[in-house]
Amino acid sequence: MNIIDVVQYVQAMRDPAGLPFYPLVFQFLMVLTFALHIMFVNFVVGGITLALWGRMSGDPKALRLSKALARASTVNLSIAIVLAVAPLLFVQVIYDPFWYTANTMSAVWAMAFLIAVTAAFYCLYLFYLGGKKESRNGNPFWLVLALAAAGLAGYIIHSLTMEQLLADQWQDLVVKGLDVDTSGTVLAGFSLPRILHFIIPSFAISGIFLMIYAWYFRGRSDYPEDYIDFAARLGGWLALWATVAQAAVGVWWLISLPSKFNFLSNPFFLAGATSGLVLLGLLVAAKSDPIKWAPRAMGMAFVTLFLMSYAREALRSLYAEKVGYSIFDYKLNVDWGSTILFLATFLGGLVVLAYPAVVAYHAGKSDAPLTEEPAEGLGKVAYALTIIWFVVVAGLGIFISMKNGTLF
Amino acid sequence: MYPFWEVPHLTSGLIIAMIASFHILPSHLATGAFWFMAYIEGKAINDNRPELFAFLKRFSLFILVFCFVIGSLTGVGIWFSATVASPRAISGLIHNYVWGWATEWVFFLIEIATIYAYYYTFGKVPPRTHRRIGLIYAWGAWMSMVIITGILGFMLSSDKWIETGSFFDGFFNSTYWPQLAFRTAGMIAIASVYAIIVAASLEKGKVRYEIIRKAGAWGLCALAAGALFATWYLNALPDNSKELIFQDMIPPLKTMLHVAIGAAVAVAVYFLLFGVVRPQLACRSFGIVMMLVLLAGIGAGEGLREGCRRPYIINQYMYGNQVVARDLEAKKVKGEVEFFQEHGLTSRLLFFPDQLRIFPEEHLAKAGRIIALHQCGNCHTMDQKGIRPLPGLLANLGLEDAESIADFLDALGEYPFMPPFAANEDEKRATAAYLATLIPAGE
Ligand code: HEC
Repeated sequence: MNIIDVVQYVQAMRDPAGLPFYPLVFQFLMVLTFALHIMFVNFVVGGITLALWGRMSGDPKALRLSKALARASTVNLSIAIVLAVAPLLFVQVIYDPFWYTANTMSAVWAMAFLIAVTAAFYCLYLFYLGGKKESRNGNPFWLVLALAAAGLAGYIIHSLTMEQLLADQWQDLVVKGLDVDTSGTVLAGFSLPRILHFIIPSFAISGIFLMIYAWYFRGRSDYPEDYIDFAARLGGWLALWATVAQAAVGVWWLISLPSKFNFLSNPFFLAGATSGLVLLGLLVAAKSDPIKWAPRAMGMAFVTLFLMSYAREALRSLYAEKVGYSIFDYKLNVDWGSTILFLATFLGGLVVLAYPAVVAYHAGKSDAPLTEEPAEGLGKVAYALTIIWFVVVAGLGIFISMKNGTLF
Repeated sequence: MYPFWEVPHLTSGLIIAMIASFHILPSHLATGAFWFMAYIEGKAINDNRPELFAFLKRFSLFILVFCFVIGSLTGVGIWFSATVASPRAISGLIHNYVWGWATEWVFFLIEIATIYAYYYTFGKVPPRTHRRIGLIYAWGAWMSMVIITGILGFMLSSDKWIETGSFFDGFFNSTYWPQLAFRTAGMIAIASVYAIIVAASLEKGKVRYEIIRKAGAWGLCALAAGALFATWYLNALPDNSKELIFQDMIPPLKTMLHVAIGAAVAVAVYFLLFGVVRPQLACRSFGIVMMLVLLAGIGAGEGLREGCRRPYIINQYMYGNQVVARDLEAKKVKGEVEFFQEHGLTSRLLFFPDQLRIFPEEHLAKAGRIIALHQCGNCHTMDQKGIRPLPGLLANLGLEDAESIADFLDALGEYPFMPPFAANEDEKRATAAYLATLIPAGE
């Protein structure tokens, strides 16, 4: 008779091929890209909520802001989706037994998640289209729907994450007496402080987004000073108070964690909390002149998001340890070639990315169309890099294919 | 084994296929369209013809709000659906090709940055800047195809990788180059149909006809080249795949091939008549119909690629039911078929009732259901109707009692498109008992 427990199971389900590089690198990249992703998710959640508030408030400045945020949120959501790919990839590399177990037992919800995100995007887009002409306003109903869809998506992904932490409950969730639930409809795991810890920062981060918005558009003739001032003050106020609320919820979450984790003295947590406090101080200082402080606040907010994401990862590893799992004893089959391919592409890619960013920055900041090419040299380098990439990879490919006799 | 997700009638594999078919159009369009666009924009700048910009703006908006967003969502969707349908297969791919995907992701970032910069800076930056951004998008998008084709090709023909386990040996496999060439031709053809649709919404006149004629010519060339590449591609398929298709071992595969060829011919005729010869006749609605025809053709082609891989999901390495097919010494991976036949699949099944682990006679079928799902459920539904329904297939072979089914399971691996039954004697008995309960009485 075969008996298997969850400790043996998570070992047995590790991918037999092992990891193609050291787990620390995957973990770092996972956290970094997750922090980037979640920043844009925060922009979207806060942005939709503020757009709804602005649409309903009746103040013309708030209405204008509502339109701007609706448009920005469509862009931010599509960026958030693309950014999601990387952490999604890396989590499957190092936490595969957890990721796949939770997803398959909740398969229907995983599919519903996709539908919810799609719905959120198009509802948002319909609202934006409705208000595209100056004289008209989008129907707020679309925003309510977008918010509901985003909320559903958030709830599902939160539960899927919680399920991954609750390995000791898996068997009971799926095996019911003599029957096995193969419907993919399990959805367990909910922690109010944890999910609040994702929602509240949306307002803090979106507040800082407003500060940056004001910082960027100030001085453009079609952006009156009182409107810019309104956006900056609203942003500063929101960022400050949401950060205060976040600290309170953070304490609550901390208390709700199993005490044997000793999370309070965990170095990752301490780094994240310290950074949160620095951000808070910065936002207090920014009250007098939110525009001037905007870039610094954004930088600090990202550092905080990153460190908090690392704290979240440290917490995950504590849960994983409960079933004897550590990413650091994963079997290794180091593959230098493909690792170098990625790292080189990533570094080169940053240069390429800088070009459209710089062009967009200058184009948006100026009243009139630009007559001089912005960053022409960078543009030429960026374009050349994409072609060089192809030539190098294709050359390598032809060489390998000839060697292996797989060309024709 | 991971929990099994049972989708009544359809099988979870079909869910992947459904999402994938929504992915094909936007993704290929988003990769191909900007080449045509860069070409027209080059004309607009060099020949000083600002009137072409109206076309360009219209052309790029839909790419942005539909193709790019739906393309990336369904792309993530394929991943999620593969995760819940074949977790061990996607895990196997990711643990070997994670850096490939991560590299592709860098190009996704480049795509999203350039496409937004492109769209929002129309008329706001000097023409050369604008065109350069479009070109970077075009290259970046095509690079994502250059990468993903390596992984798709690997699943179809793993070649040297089976010996070396090396990333690049599997990546530049024998179906890589023909598939890349073929997909590239396909993306240009899709972009051409799309260009005709957009141009047909412009005012009647010289500009409209000129663009339609050019798009028709592009499309025609792409399809002509595509025909050559397709022959190359089919020739490069591994022998077991060729047999499945051309020796009628799985008849639907040949049908798919015919659908793909038929669609390509129809669209080629369309490019010739409504594009090159009489652009005045091209209209939007018929263009959309042709887009759907092309889509059906590509869908059939992708179905063929998926179908002729059997019994594997990763060529030579992993079977369709997610069992590792053989040793991969380079990575110290052990084949699992014999292990499961000796020690039992239940040695890895956490999600299995403990009371059933002794396979009690009175609950044999209950235990068998879980084994059957893991062994057959990726390819067959257990329902009476649906995708390759086991009750009907078994009844057709005259297998109605547990004993004859058990014998059939022993011989399963002799089919060229099915993996061997990878479970021990107890488990086989249980599976057969369960399958016997499915056969409709009195047939
Ligand atoms: C990799 C996918 C795959 C798996 C796994 C698989 N099959 Fe099949 N099976 C097929 C295909 C493809 C066919 C051909 C169907 C057709 O002709 O349309 C088939 C056909 C059959 C047939 C009909 C054979 C005939 O000669 O007409 C039976 C019976 C069958 N499968 C039983 C099973 C059982 C039982 C299992 C699990 C132990 C199983 N299959 C696992 C893919 C699979």
